[in-house]
Amino acid sequence: MSEPEPLSGPHVLEYTYKRSVGPVLGRFFTGLRDGRIEGVKTAGGRVLCPPMEHDPATGEATTDQWVEVGPGGEVKTWTWIAQPRKQHPLQKPFAFALVQLDGADSALLHAVDAGDEGRMSSGMRVKARFAEERSGRIEDIACFEPEDA
Amino acid sequence: MAELCGVVGVGQTQHDAKREDVSQVGLIREAAERALEDADLDWKDIDAVVIGKAPDLFEGVMMPELFLADSLGCAGKPMLRVHTAGSVGGSTAVVAASLVEAGIHDRVLTVAYEKQSESNAMWALSIKIPFSATVVAGAGGYFAPLIRGYMMRSGAPEDTGIRVAVKDRENALKNPYAHLKFPDISFEQVESSPMLWDPIRFLETCPSSDGACALVLSSEKLADQSKKKPAWVHSTAMRSEPTSFAGRDQVNPQAGIDCAKELYKKAGITDPRKEIDCAEIYVPFSWFEPMWMENLGFAELGQGWKMTYEGATALDGDLPVNMSGGVLSTNPIGASGMLRFGEAAMQVRGTAGEHQVAGARKAMGHAYGGGSQYFSMWIVGAEKP
Repeated sequence: MSEPEPLSGPHVLEYTYKRSVGPVLGRFFTGLRDGRIEGVKTAGGRVLCPPMEHDPATGEATTDQWVEVGPGGEVKTWTWIAQPRKQHPLQKPFAFALVQLDGADSALLHAVDAGDEGRMSSGMRVKARFAEERSGRIEDIACFEPEDA
Repeated sequence: MAELCGVVGVGQTQHDAKREDVSQVGLIREAAERALEDADLDWKDIDAVVIGKAPDLFEGVMMPELFLADSLGCAGKPMLRVHTAGSVGGSTAVVAASLVEAGIHDRVLTVAYEKQSESNAMWALSIKIPFSATVVAGAGGYFAPLIRGYMMRSGAPEDTGIRVAVKDRENALKNPYAHLKFPDISFEQVESSPMLWDPIRFLETCPSSDGACALVLSSEKLADQSKKKPAWVHSTAMRSEPTSFAGRDQVNPQAGIDCAKELYKKAGITDPRKEIDCAEIYVPFSWFEPMWMENLGFAELGQGWKMTYEGATALDGDLPVNMSGGVLSTNPIGASGMLRFGEAAMQVRGTAGEHQVAGARKAMGHAYGGGSQYFSMWIVGAEKP
């Protein structure tokens, strides 16, 4: 008796979501749309960027004091993506990096378009490259690039 | 249990169809801050946090407890997530209570939530898998045949469900946090509302809500020191069974029967109808009130509908059920179970406001989930057990 052919059938699962970002990230995204990166101050005076509703160190709400940060900053740590996939922010080799923007005390995860892995190092200076068309999303920062580029 | 556990704080959000004014973080924080305020405590007083919500698919954030931790003061503290579908709000409270009862933590904050406006949970679990039987009709489509089954077995009058809906919607008018409020609710209004899944009418159905609930649980020593009167946890129980197996009775699931039996045994209760003063029971479709009355042993088999009919479950009846307006009026899925548990605690603390049952000393909170397969329950009392 020959092996039966296994059953196979199509199954496409699509499910859509939307986000209510709240007052803090709402202000941050609005700033990005206008080409401005902002951090929020904690009660202890630290500047968080990306901003958060609550200070992770204390659990207390952050303040309503906002500070413009960047567009330059420093790479704290990074990883190289040699073969980007369709969903990645850049369609050529790039780095994912934690970037501490000038004036901020925390780091933002974003892409760095350095061209070559050899140019990447912790401590390197980068600056934000804004997208030409912006709509209040994290992609409004197209990526970061080396400051000396 | 080794240690006693007291509910010293209860908090909930303003529930609504769309809380677009807040993020998920803002939503849970609103409930948690109210619970802490009720307990007269601060974030630093909390030893551990237990978070619950229905499946991650509902908002599309995998393991949201990780990003919520910072906003719940969890940094450097133990944090635990509980998963048991729609019963999760109850199970989460049970897990939190067990941490206190076991003497592991002295003060636990527990939070449950759902932000249904971020997606469409009604259809989230109605997936059509190739070669499998599928409902694709939402929760109501799943439960309607079970209700028909109950009607056939019990011979309950066709309008029993309408009466439950009118009662719960009237109760919701007395609850400032309730989502759905129909000021002129009447039998005729429910009866004439569209039939969604025969025999379930539109006004016999729960809404989709955004909301959260939070409780602060303390050890006996700390609860004794709290300014407001605690609700003492007398017993907790959880049971589950598979969605389908040969001979499964989905109308009157064995897991629910067993869970209630264990709950009463632990609490020393032999006649629940007489000994329990009021109950918050998970009723997402009106007919589940009489069905659960039987499953939980408050009524003989086939007799549950009479409790509704005779007004026993009304706010002034001998066993008021869903004084808050229940799941029929407010359904942030993950939080719905904890709201039942929290409302039960409010009753025995005497803090339920307009929907307070006078002199309530012992109250039950109940939650179920999945295809009537997960159960969690607790009994709380004004006095120590």
